[in-house]
Amino acid sequence: MEKLNFSCKLGVLSRPDGSAMFCEGDLKISSFLGETIVIAGLYGPVEVKMQKVLIDKASVECSYRPKSGLPGVEDRLYESLIRNICETSLMAALYPRSAVLITLQEMHNNGQLISCAINAACLACLDSGIDMKFMFGSVTCFLTKQEELCLKPPINEKDIKAFFVFVFDNTKGRILASHTKGSFSKEQYEEALHLSREESKNVFIFFKKSMHTND
Amino acid sequence: MSSVRKTIVSNCEKKFLIKNLSEWTRLDGRAFDEFRKIDIEFGKDWGCCSVSLGKTRVLAQVSCEIQEPKSSRPSEGILNINIELNTIAAPHFESGRQSELSVQLNRLLEKCLKDSKAVDLESLCIKMKEKVWALRVDVNVLNHEGNILDCASVAALAALAHFRRPDVTCDGEEFIIHGYQQRDPIPTVIHHYPLCVTYSIFSGGHYEHREKYHLKIDFSDYIVADPTLLEEGVADAFLSIGLNAYKELCGLHLGGKAELTPDVILNTANKAAMRAGIVAQLIKDSVEEDSVKRQEKLELGFHKTIDNEKVVESIEELSLCLDQWTSKRKKNKKKKKQTKIFEENTIKMEAPRTESNLVAEIESIGKGSAALVPNDNRDNSEVWQASESEDDDDVMIVEQPKQVVDLLDIADSGSEEEAVIVLNSEKKSKKKKKKVKTEY
Repeated sequence: MEKLNFSCKLGVLSRPDGSAMFCEGDLKISSFLGETIVIAGLYGPVEVKMQKVLIDKASVECSYRPKSGLPGVEDRLYESLIRNICETSLMAALYPRSAVLITLQEMHNNGQLISCAINAACLACLDSGIDMKFMFGSVTCFLTKQEELCLKPPINEKDIKAFFVFVFDNTKGRILASHTKGSFSKEQYEEALHLSREESKNVFIFFKKSMHTND
Repeated sequence: MSSVRKTIVSNCEKKFLIKNLSEWTRLDGRAFDEFRKIDIEFGKDWGCCSVSLGKTRVLAQVSCEIQEPKSSRPSEGILNINIELNTIAAPHFESGRQSELSVQLNRLLEKCLKDSKAVDLESLCIKMKEKVWALRVDVNVLNHEGNILDCASVAALAALAHFRRPDVTCDGEEFIIHGYQQRDPIPTVIHHYPLCVTYSIFSGGHYEHREKYHLKIDFSDYIVADPTLLEEGVADAFLSIGLNAYKELCGLHLGGKAELTPDVILNTANKAAMRAGIVAQLIKDSVEEDSVKRQEKLELGFHKTIDNEKVVESIEELSLCLDQWTSKRKKNKKKKKQTKIFEENTIKMEAPRTESNLVAEIESIGKGSAALVPNDNRDNSEVWQASESEDDDDVMIVEQPKQVVDLLDIADSGSEEEAVIVLNSEKKSKKKKKKVKTEY
């Protein structure tokens, strides 16, 4: 199975407490096969607005910006997905009556935008040094029209029959979130899950490596 | 706009900054008419560009769609500019909600790009009264470290210059939009390159500040180019000038309160014109460079920057000057252990800046304090001066008790401010002095 290439840069922005530019995909090959790039920034814990105060934990807010146009329904869906993941992984109970703001900005999209955004969010959390229960990493798996599963997006977008986004934690490899689009059989889902779980190990290895080199 | 999470500028900072300005220095060591470094990067998509001005960073993306033209202008395309202040740029920004700042920035940018007719809208017409291209420029602010407007105007213009729209053909009835693979896309026609150049004005010092802060310095208006976040917060007013490379004015905005004479505005506009010319050329060059890269099928996109700099300094350079101060303090501590402090009127200090050989002179003023007088005539009389009352030493002159020639490296972090001081006893220092003298 082909491996994904990752690269990242931590602390790309000076204002947020933690920021990361995460890049996933084919970095070497010519301009047809591209990569997906997302910038993530995290502020937290910061002052919270009155209507969002939670007395027992920090309120996690997430906003996702597409590169062009106004954010639509789909973008809101990604937002809530990422917010839920961050809520479970951050030690929100340590910061009552405060807020954690996570902002994601699409830089370039080549298919695996959601998983890339989630990984960028995790790196931003790590960069900011906020308390976390575990790391989270995400993998997108594509099902092509030829009923093949692959981790890299096919060159032609029309070849995609379905795609799966899985998010795992790094301690026990549990599933934190699963997002699918398109039609597929149960076996295909399970196979995709298995593939993604294996690949997620590489993601975590990359996270650890990048925290090491960026220090 | 809500004041939640807003960064507050303290009185201390205000006072310090104004006092610095009165001594002709800025916190980051720039001259008053010096701008921060501009960096333009293009993404893989057409019309995608990320510009950083110092640490301020902005992402612009141009998109296009076919629309019906406005009835008042049936043969013209439509250009929309939208600036978005994201939470990522500053915690008090709210994305998706209009604030006073975002409306102002949007309007200024529109004035500069749209009202100056920089983009040829008639070439965007497909069919009169029926179909025209509508271009939309989305400017996303990623990091707010002051002067968003200049950065956004460069980004928007560079993105427009970089953008290509798909070709459209018409066979009588039907319009066919050809994809990027089928036919070569068409670049946007840009008549001229108008850019915003922003200055901060520190005035009101005549009356308000002097009384408030008990400063004994005569204030005149300090006009500072490309203000940082702190300078923006302290400044009394800002002057934004929209100009193109031909010195044609495309917009002028004075926000805040300042007493400016026409002469001052004209002078500033002249300086801004120089700047606009340089930046316009920079945009043209980088667009050209990008198209050459595309032809040669070289690597493109933002990820390049990641690969090039594997090891990242997360806090690149703090304010330049502040850095120097801390490093000097450290240096002092180190030297105090081994050496005695002595006074001498002048000692030549050579700071080999890899490229520009900057030679500086140290003058001691009173006990334990000294002034570093740079000999490069960059900004004439604007020099650092330590007042006599200051106890904390900025630069120290040190002597080895025994005759040992000692090379001390006070380089901090290996950035530009690398300096090697040659410290000698008197005998040897004379020899060294001669050497130094012969060098310039």
